[in-house]
Amino acid sequence: MFEWIQENWVTLAVPAAVFLAFCIVGLWARRVLYKRLNKLLIKSGWGGREILVQTSRGPFFFWFMLLGASAAIKFSSLSDEAQVLAGKIIGSIFIISIIWLLLILTNRLVNIFLEEIKSPRPPGRFVTNGLRVTILMLGVLILADYWGWPLTPVILLLATAILIAVVASRDIILNVFSGFEIAAARNIREGDFIKLSTGEEGYVIDMTWRTIKIKTPDQHTVIVPNSKLVRETVINYGHPLKKAEKPFRFYTRLHLKELTGLKAGNLTELVNILKSAPDSVIYYHTHHFLEEHQFLTPEPSNDFALWVEDSLDDHVLSEKLANIDTFAYFSLEELKSTIVSVIEKYIAANPASKKAKAENDFHFIKSNSVVIPTPYFASDLREFVEVLRKITIDSLYYHIFESRLRLQKISNDFSVWIRDSFGENDLADKIDGLVPYTSTIETMRSFIIQNIEKRIK
Amino acid sequence: MNVELKNQFKTKIDDYEPIVGRNVIDELKLLGNHLQGKKVQNINSTYSGGGVAEILTRMVPLVNQLGLDVSWDVITGDDTFFDVTKKFHNALHGRQEHITESEFDIFLNTNENNIRRMKLDADIFFIHDPQPSALITQRSAVGGKWIWRCHIDVSHPDQRVWEFLNRFVAKYDAAVFSAPAFSPKLPIRQFLISPSIDPLSDKNKELSKGEIEAVLHKYGLDPGKPMVVQISRFDYLKDPIGVIEAFKMVRKGFNCQLILAGGTANDDPESAEVLNDVRNHADGHRDIKVLLIPPGSDIDINALQRAATVVLQKSLKEGFGLTISEALWKSKPVVASAVGGIPLQIINKFTGLLCHSVDGAAYALKQLLGNPELASQLGENGREHVKQNFLITRHLKEYLLLFIALNHESDVIYL
Repeated sequence: MFEWIQENWVTLAVPAAVFLAFCIVGLWARRVLYKRLNKLLIKSGWGGREILVQTSRGPFFFWFMLLGASAAIKFSSLSDEAQVLAGKIIGSIFIISIIWLLLILTNRLVNIFLEEIKSPRPPGRFVTNGLRVTILMLGVLILADYWGWPLTPVILLLATAILIAVVASRDIILNVFSGFEIAAARNIREGDFIKLSTGEEGYVIDMTWRTIKIKTPDQHTVIVPNSKLVRETVINYGHPLKKAEKPFRFYTRLHLKELTGLKAGNLTELVNILKSAPDSVIYYHTHHFLEEHQFLTPEPSNDFALWVEDSLDDHVLSEKLANIDTFAYFSLEELKSTIVSVIEKYIAANPASKKAKAENDFHFIKSNSVVIPTPYFASDLREFVEVLRKITIDSLYYHIFESRLRLQKISNDFSVWIRDSFGENDLADKIDGLVPYTSTIETMRSFIIQNIEKRIK
Repeated sequence: MNVELKNQFKTKIDDYEPIVGRNVIDELKLLGNHLQGKKVQNINSTYSGGGVAEILTRMVPLVNQLGLDVSWDVITGDDTFFDVTKKFHNALHGRQEHITESEFDIFLNTNENNIRRMKLDADIFFIHDPQPSALITQRSAVGGKWIWRCHIDVSHPDQRVWEFLNRFVAKYDAAVFSAPAFSPKLPIRQFLISPSIDPLSDKNKELSKGEIEAVLHKYGLDPGKPMVVQISRFDYLKDPIGVIEAFKMVRKGFNCQLILAGGTANDDPESAEVLNDVRNHADGHRDIKVLLIPPGSDIDINALQRAATVVLQKSLKEGFGLTISEALWKSKPVVASAVGGIPLQIINKFTGLLCHSVDGAAYALKQLLGNPELASQLGENGREHVKQNFLITRHLKEYLLLFIALNHESDVIYL
């Protein structure tokens, strides 16, 4: 062995010297070039400077080592075939190192790039993996070409793999492209109140390139794929309005009719039973018509007036009873006293009142009410108006008319909240002015919605 | 006999949204949330024919969809039992019936047999009509809340039959009636819940012109001639003879045809006799068609109602008269007797015309046949009235409220 080295030291020393020389030049070049590159990048203010410099420093020197190895082989005593093979191997290592560097850079730089995009945020993992796969495929193609392998099968294989991947993730791709479209159009931003034609609505709380999240008035978070957002009609009401300190909670009140077993055939019987009737009976006979026949305009005012008209054929008393404004009273007891007083005065003046036919007796019914909180809250007027479109007429009735009995004043839950939370006195007054005798509850709903819409436009 | 409906009934509660609106469906779900898992057992006397079976067929699966555990059982009995209960039915409507002591025993024995055969297991027992009412005797053994759902008018009953039944009814927690005037004085809570129609059922869904014409062709009816239609099972209480008399008066001045169409119910042995009688009265009149519609021909009934120029319901006694809501839902002008629950559906001169006699029926028919604009306006108002008050969604809501109210004594319940 020693003898062989003594005989061939020149054959070994020259390639080693060449390799060493390239390493020294590599170290020097890296020092000089990176110093300049660093300065240049600092000047440009690019955020990825440190990553680029740190990540590529090692490979840069490694490439000089490969260059040195390649040159050393030329000066070696290897056969031509061996030199070609070694050169190919070194070339392949060079290509692989570049691919490896690009993969690392992609991962780190893409994250920086994505962090700079505020809304919609692209799905980081999806973008990074997409780029990685692309780089790897290009690397494979370059290597195949470098080694002179036939490219057609490789391309076919890659094309098949791409096709399978595209089919498998078509929804994701569709959503991402839709995300691009949304980002480019800038029609929707976080904080906007949007409404889709399919019914989803609420404030946008998060946007990515695949989905957007909206918080609905019933406090749910709905995730809408971007492709759906692009496909459907979307109304964007814009940025949040002033928030109320206390959100408005919508309730509904449902009624079940309970028969009391009491019935009256003439005015004296009617008034005697009325005197001891509970509030739930008075409530039923003065309120139910509005809800059950809400499509009628104007609605009959109360059951007592109707019965006196239809069954006793007494138009004068019927008119007197119909003229009692149910909604001007803040307590059912007070309302009952007025009805009783009107009938008693009438009986005193007209003692010979008629008797109804047996099948036309007045049946006293009481209302069993079930008050239920709905899932809807409104913390600003936009949410409020959107919930108004959804709630039942029972809920509207509860907040607009029944509230007078609870609040003990001519106002309603909506007006009180709007006045107290936003100081919108004009709007509140308009809602206060609603009367059930001239319009249906649906018409009132439209009236309130239109007025609020006008105010928040 | 347990009635299994799960595979027959495909309608989902959300399918009603286009008709009644999202908010109504949400409200039902809200109520359902408060009754999750509650077991309700419905018991009646027939699984087909008549309004009760029809309502239960649609209602039971829908309530289950809202999270309750609802079942439906049918009591069994032989022909003698149903002969007795038919007599009860007539007597409760105020008709004179001679009922012997042994017939009362048949009623009791059949109920006893069903108690032995039937598994009573629920939080709420919902007993429909008089036939199974004596099951309440098991209350102390099985517990739960018991509701008697009376679908008929018992305001002026035969006292002997009522006193017999009242022994059982008074033991229930609550009774439910379809109209205020139907209820007698009872020592228990009484609720008022009107029945309803299902807008998505074969009987009420929209039909194409072709489908309607096919049905008219099937029954040999002339589509070009105005039609007066009464749909009801063949029962003297529906006054089919009076209808023929009224039609004969109208026919003198209007070129029109009368269609008397209906079926029979398993629990009504008298209907075959009535059908024969009606055919005899109609015999020889080429514009009077008496059609026996087999069970399950809901599309046929729907088509006949939709083809009608005027729908008539000249009942002498009526429970609620769901055929009226069906006709109103189809925007048809209706002439109906002011009995039972009919005035709740027909607001005279607004959603239809009420009559009190054969002459009154004939006069109202003439008014509508001679005044298509009035007929059309009444029909449109009627449809809106049914939409607000007589669709199955409202019925569902009130049943759920009833289940809630059973456990609360106060007039206002905060959930």
